[in-house]
This record gives sequence, C-alpha cells and structure tokens, in this order.
Amino acid sequence: MTILRRAAGAIRTAFPGAKGMIGLAILLAFTAIALLGSLLAPYPKNYIEFEPWLAPSMHHWLGTDSYGQDVLSQMIYGTRTSFWVGVIAGLITTVIGVAVGIISGFKGGWVEEALMRVVDLLLIIPTLALMIILASFLPSMGVTSTILIIGCLSWLYMARSIRSQTMAERQSGYVEAARMVGMKDTEIMFREILPNIVPVILANLVLVTTQAVLAEAGLSFLGLGDPTNVSWGTILALANANNAVLFHAWWWILPPGLAIALFCFGFILIGNGILEKYRANRGNAAL
Amino acid sequence: MRYNSVYLLNRIGFSLVTLFVAATLNFLLPRLMGGDPASALASDKALGSQQVADALKAQFGLDNPSLLYQYGQYLKQLLHGNLGISYANYPSPVIDVIGKALPWTLGTVLTATLLSYLVGWLIGIRGAWKSGSFFDQSTLFSAFFLNSVPFFWIAIIFIMIFSFYLGWFPLGQAVDPTYGAMSAMEKVRSVLYHAILPVFTLIIASLAGHILVLRNNLMRVLSEDYMLLAKAKGLKASRRKYAYGARNALLPSFTGLMTSLGHVIGGAITTEIVFSYPGVGLVTFNAILNHDYPLIQGAFLCIAVSVIVCNLIADLLYPLIDPRVALG
Repeated sequence: MTILRRAAGAIRTAFPGAKGMIGLAILLAFTAIALLGSLLAPYPKNYIEFEPWLAPSMHHWLGTDSYGQDVLSQMIYGTRTSFWVGVIAGLITTVIGVAVGIISGFKGGWVEEALMRVVDLLLIIPTLALMIILASFLPSMGVTSTILIIGCLSWLYMARSIRSQTMAERQSGYVEAARMVGMKDTEIMFREILPNIVPVILANLVLVTTQAVLAEAGLSFLGLGDPTNVSWGTILALANANNAVLFHAWWWILPPGLAIALFCFGFILIGNGILEKYRANRGNAAL
Repeated sequence: MRYNSVYLLNRIGFSLVTLFVAATLNFLLPRLMGGDPASALASDKALGSQQVADALKAQFGLDNPSLLYQYGQYLKQLLHGNLGISYANYPSPVIDVIGKALPWTLGTVLTATLLSYLVGWLIGIRGAWKSGSFFDQSTLFSAFFLNSVPFFWIAIIFIMIFSFYLGWFPLGQAVDPTYGAMSAMEKVRSVLYHAILPVFTLIIASLAGHILVLRNNLMRVLSEDYMLLAKAKGLKASRRKYAYGARNALLPSFTGLMTSLGHVIGGAITTEIVFSYPGVGLVTFNAILNHDYPLIQGAFLCIAVSVIVCNLIADLLYPLIDPRVALG
C-alpha cells in the first residue's frame, strides 16, 4: 500500500494538474498500442490481400488503402515506429541539450561564447534541410539512423533554454555553498544544479519529443524513412502519392494526422502542467 | 535612423560566417555519411556520358585524393556558381534547375510568413486583452493543435476540402496548362489563383507560434505601470490596446519573425509536394526519388542561403523599428 501511495505521489508531482493527468492518459494509451501492437492489430503487417479503396466498415474500421491494406492495422504498426523514434530521439536530444546548456551556462567565459556561437550559427540553417542532406547520403535508412539524425540535430533551442536557467541557478546560495565546500565543477553542475532544474528539463523533453515525431513524419513523407517499415509519416506519404484525395479516401488521410496531433497534444499538456507548477513554486516567469 | 558601424559589421560578418559554415557542411556531411563524392557528383552512369563525368571530376578535384584539395576546388566552383549537373534534368546545371524553382518558394514563403505574423499578432492581442475569455481559450487550443500537426497534413486536408469538394482552387501546380499562350494579365491571374491555397496553408500552419509568442508578450506588457497610467488618464480602450499594448508587444517578437522563416521554409518543402508546386521543395523531393545527389546538395545550399540572406535583411531592418539595437 505504501508503495502504491508513493507511486501515486510521484505521478502527481511529475504530471501536475488535470491537464497533466489527461496528457498522461493519452501517452499511456499510445504506449500500450506501441507495445502490444501485434496483439491489437486485426490483420498482419503489410498484408495486401483485401480489396482496395474499401470505405470503413465492421471488417475494416478505417477502410483499406490503394494496395488493399487494412488502414487500422497499418496505423497500429505505425504507432510503434513513430512512438520509439519520438521517445528515443527526444532522449538523445535532451542529453545533448542539457549537457551543452549546463556547461555553457555554468562555465561562462569563452566556453559559453564558443558554444552559443555554434548554436546561433546552426539555428539559422533550417533543421529539416540538414536532416535531408544527412539522410539522403546514408547508404541505407533504418529506424536507427532516423533516430540518430533527428536526435543529434534538434538540441539547439533546448541548449539555449537550459543555459539561461543554469545562469539563474548559478547565482543561488546552494551553488555558492557547494563551491565553498570545494566541490568540483562537474559535481556542482550535474549533482547540484541538474536536480534543481529537472522540471525545466522535463518540459523541454516533452517539446523535443513532439518535434521528433513531426520530424520523423516529415522525413518519411519525403521518402527518407525506412522503406520496409510503416510509420504515420509513411502512411501519409503513400496516401498522397496514390491520390487518396481523388478517391474520397478520407479514412486513409485523417487517422495518421490526428494520431500525430493527439500524441503531440498529450506531450504538450504534460509539459505545460510541469512548467505551470514550476513557475508557481518558484515565482519565475522568465522561462 | 542611425546605423552604427559595429552593429552593421557584426551582422554582415555573422551572415558571411554562416554562409561559409553552410557551404562547408554541404561539403562535409555527405562524406561523413559514407557517400562516395565522386559517384555522387559525377557518376558516368547517372550522367550517361564518360566525358562529362571526367570533366566534372577534374573541375571539382575529385581525381585528387586530398580532401583539402577537393575542398578548395569545391569552394572555387561554388564562387563561380557551379554546383554540378543535375542527373535527372541532364544536361541542365543544378544552378539553373534551382534558379527556376526558387522564386516560387520565396514568393509563397515570404508572403505567408508576413501575413501569418500579422494575423497571429491580431489574434494574440485579442486573446491577451480578454485573457481567459472563450475567444482566448479556443485560439489557444487551436494554436496547440496546429503546433502538433505536420504542415503537409494540413495541405492534404485543405486540398481535399477547398479544391476537391468545393472546387474553389486548382488541385495543384503553379500555373494553368495553357499558361504559355496567355496574355500578361491572365498570367498574373493564373499565378495568383494557384498560389492562394499553398500560401493559405503555410499561414495556418505557422500561425500557432506567432499567436503564442504575441499573447505572452502582451500579457507581460499589460502588467506594466504605463498601462495602468494610461487607464488612469482615461484613455480609450482601443488606444490603450493598440497604441500602448500591441505596439510594445510587437518589438520583442520581431526576432521571432526571423527565426520563424526557417521553420516556414522547412514546412514549405513538404507542402509543395502535396500541391505539386514547382518550388525548391518539390525539386528536393524529386531529387531524392531520382538519387540526384548534385541536386539534393544544391537544394540544401539554396535553402540555407535564402534563409541567411532573409535573416540579414531582417537584421538590417530591425534598427528601423527599434533604434536601441543598433546603438547598444
């Protein structure tokens, strides 16, 4: 019982407010679909034996596409790709963004100047263009390379946000105290400051994850995804390439977009919940 | 207007460095990814001619194994506007293919960015002025929704509704098929008619960021003392709202306008595919389909250069709006 109560308390801290709870519910649903995909999907992956362009019915809740694939099944398998790309690329981005942000914010001086100059330079060049040139020259694209490309190119805004938060923390008494006790810089940065800015990091994590999901969809739409895999982006790419609009096949077009929107919306709700609580606790509006 | 030379040199220098970085990335990234530069730029199979391939290899120094030499040759050719020859459009040089596509992209993206900023400004002001109202809540909700859907999905939905079901706009392309035989007035009409839906899509898709930023800015401005003073002086609400509040909320968001440009161009790449709109995005998409590597690299450079130049222009305009930036 105590464990359960503690877990409930932890969830309440991490996902504050009604909005946060709704966001959590949305994400849990997607997690379940991503994990149990093959059990939930009514038909096997890429199974093309049905009649093409069937409208939604009892047998095919979301109809079939131009290849005779069940759209609902493809959506469920696609959830897995989009989910993992979003989550893992989001984590990679967060690790890089937090490291660059804390180091430049804490060290100051030429380290900060150099790192922030690099960030400013890269911020101007559109990220999607950089991703395109990386992805198109790779000998073969798989989910892993998609994750790496998105994860390694999306940390710029996050690094800035973490940096400004670190600069504010640097003035605090506890950092001064840690210095007095003779703690090393790396210890102060990652054992003292890091735990104090966890809410800001979480809020950023949520944002970069939604961006990673959108980036994956964009790359797949451009034909730069894994051709053997199915994701929300590849479903939309096929729908567009096969003129789904001209065949009135709204059941092929609406679900992937709405799934992306709902997934990102869940993350945004959680992120806003975290930030609101953090601001209320600290009285800090400049985030 | 007072431009100070430090500010000018600083901004121009920064743009030049960024250009150089973009060019270097364009050279390095394909090689880092394990692509073979010789077969990417001058594949005799893709070009269909051994002589042309050899000539290109010599131009770009690919017959020399030294990376530094190749880099030097690459920069030299770049300064001459030589980006190689497009495989899929042989024998057109890459620069010509992109030169034809760029005006379509810049036209739609710049129009959409400015209009989106204006609309987002008006909506953000209205929302912040009556924060918590139904209007505010529903625009906030829409903004969060628009922030979480891909541009190209909005494009497909708009084509389905406005072009296919309602028949108000064409299903794609930038001009009518009979464009060549048209008079000048008809040509203008045809171009504008085909551009409306793509521009509208970009406006809607990029609206969310502007609404959120301007709403937040105005919320901050509204709590300032001078707003209270204006009210105490008995100024009319509309004057307080626009001449005091909105005007001061506009300034900090100008930098947001600059950064949003790169975002809109990124979105335009996929949107153009949906509209079969012959801009840089569609060129990139076809280049990816055809493994037309010189064209992919050229498109990257072109996107990067456009954004850098637009940013520089915005930087130079900024002091006109807020003289403090160029003075400090």
